[in-house]
Amino acid sequence: MSVKVSIPTILRPLTNDQKQIEAVGINVLEVIDQMDQQYPGIKEKLIAKGKPHRFINIYVNDNDIRFSDGLTTNLKDGDSLTILPAVAGG
Amino acid sequence: MEMNRPLTGCTLSGSFDHVATDFAPIVASLRYQASALGLNVISNNNDAMGVALSFEFTTTRTRSVSCDIAKWSDAARPTSITENIIQAACGIMSVHGRVSGEPRPLGLQYVSTLTGALALQGCFAAALGQLRGLSVTSSNISVASAALLSMAQYIAGATAAETPETILPESISHPAAPPFMSSDGFCFELETLDVEPWQRFWAQFGISSAVSGKGWNAFLLRYAKAISPLPDELASALTNHTYQHISEICARTGMSICPLRSVKERQQDEHFMHEWVQGPWAFEFRPSFNSRNTIKKAENKLPLSGVTVIESCRRIQGPLAGHLLALLGAEVIRIEPPGGDPLRGMPPMADGCSVRFDALNRLKTIREVDIKSSAGKAEIKELVRYADVFLHNWAPNKAAQLGLDYSDFVDLNPALIYAYAAGWSTNGSADPFLNSIPGTDFMTQAYSGVARKISQACGTRGGSLFTVLDVLGGVIAAQGATAALLKKDLDNVGGKVTSSLLSAATLLCIDDFPDFDVLNTHVNSESVINGVFATQHGKIAIECPDRNAVYRLVDALGMTSEPDVAGFQQHLESLLLSRTAEEWRLILERANVPVAHVVEDLTVLQNQIRLQQQLSSDSYTKVMSPWSFK
Repeated sequence: MSVKVSIPTILRPLTNDQKQIEAVGINVLEVIDQMDQQYPGIKEKLIAKGKPHRFINIYVNDNDIRFSDGLTTNLKDGDSLTILPAVAGG
Repeated sequence: MEMNRPLTGCTLSGSFDHVATDFAPIVASLRYQASALGLNVISNNNDAMGVALSFEFTTTRTRSVSCDIAKWSDAARPTSITENIIQAACGIMSVHGRVSGEPRPLGLQYVSTLTGALALQGCFAAALGQLRGLSVTSSNISVASAALLSMAQYIAGATAAETPETILPESISHPAAPPFMSSDGFCFELETLDVEPWQRFWAQFGISSAVSGKGWNAFLLRYAKAISPLPDELASALTNHTYQHISEICARTGMSICPLRSVKERQQDEHFMHEWVQGPWAFEFRPSFNSRNTIKKAENKLPLSGVTVIESCRRIQGPLAGHLLALLGAEVIRIEPPGGDPLRGMPPMADGCSVRFDALNRLKTIREVDIKSSAGKAEIKELVRYADVFLHNWAPNKAAQLGLDYSDFVDLNPALIYAYAAGWSTNGSADPFLNSIPGTDFMTQAYSGVARKISQACGTRGGSLFTVLDVLGGVIAAQGATAALLKKDLDNVGGKVTSSLLSAATLLCIDDFPDFDVLNTHVNSESVINGVFATQHGKIAIECPDRNAVYRLVDALGMTSEPDVAGFQQHLESLLLSRTAEEWRLILERANVPVAHVVEDLTVLQNQIRLQQQLSSDSYTKVMSPWSFK
């Protein structure tokens, strides 16, 4: 499945300053693995011990993957994947 | 009750009994804060000019410091102000009103309280500057500068170079937002800083993952955006259950819950009277017989230059406290976890950094340290050995668990000021219920009575999603640290100062609490006319604190009806539709009626002549230091 991934500013140094990249995978984890091959280091910024970092939110078409199947959330052709750092609390 | 008041022997003198109406709420808060710090407050008979509020601060070892509080950052524009006029002109009404769809006043003497705290802090800093070799004899601020300081993060978000946020009150639809209601009529806040309790909680009420996920995103970002558009299903689900049942579900799922209490209920708390008499801070000092406690010389013209602060803080309250100390010239070394604070990446961004984050941290030196590791703790202790202040806002008991509590530093650096910006109690004796729930802004608004006070004043269900207490909590944390630094240099001591969001909330409610009359300042809390009005283009806020102001308004508008006559309000509303807000502002300012064009779009603030000196436009609009020293 080919999906568009929106890269947050903080990770763009790893993607040659690209705001959006194309990646392929049947689920979110596969897409991240494929991104990591192309842009080494990005996976460890997103995932630790098999889960997204506490302050990293990953959305498939605006749906937070933690409320779906997490990193094994399936993807369809044309889906958009958004990575958004956000911290709860004031 | 014996209190530790750090500045006993120091004096604050001014024409406090003859103050112009514009400054009355500031004086009330100033007096309470000054008394809590031990200052001898003397009201003299000097003429109050009404253009600025002037007073002097003296210590036993420094020349007197004069302080002028002007109305606007451009002191040449002395047009009348009130609390609500400043809230309207500086965008506070706009941010508070986002959740209800129209600009609204907070219903609190909020900017007045901030102004009093910042003015006192400036005086303490100036005296510290003198002790450290500077010839500074005056510290001046404006009411508008205090208001803009509270807005720094929102202004940053609205003006960021990359994808700025455009959140106008009227552009937002009005789905459900916290607080929530139970079937038996309780209004309450929910809080969790992690996603898992949120998921477990809503699953118990049969809410699908997809819906609770949408809700989490809105809930997560409410601190940043002052909106929280929750799916209707969430609030509806809770209205079918009793508060008791919802509380039990919270206990099982790790969600925290707090009812919105009244200020009267707050007064019944076991420790309330102690906290009220004590004031916003708890101080403890001990002699510092260390030869290193010689007073460091200032390194430049700012009064705290040469002072070193080690800051280990997250989010808003603690970082703002560190930012204020940096604005006064201190070198602030900010401890962040390995990889940096995750808030750095939270949009909107400019120059590769979150502008919200930058607004509170741009002046600091960053050091990444794993404070949970042995090596990290050793590194912190080495930094603290040579520092003047250690500042943190960790959860209750975390400092002791980390071995980084005040007692762990005393022998290392007896002259250290250990500043704790807490959530709940300042005395370490909060009841177990409080220590079991996150001491965040909205929970504290609910518990303290501030949320209910806001809702009663402006007709909304809950408090404000504008971070009222995080900001005031940060200001009083910095103020307490500065007072403690002055005590240290005056009396050769070291010590600990604890402030909290709850103590900030108490400070905001002083007009509701016992013995307010001893403050001897009349604050007219019920203005004759006080509202936000539609015009031909834009909105204006008008506040007439007394009947004389009403008559000036009636004259300026050419109205024939009397204020007490039925239909006056409708006539006023109708008349105001005949011109634009800006036209009315000019007319009413000339008539000396407190008025402001209500700022709804925060990007226009930088174009306002009477605010411009306080703002600096770069990759985003930065709010500058509220103080000027001479």
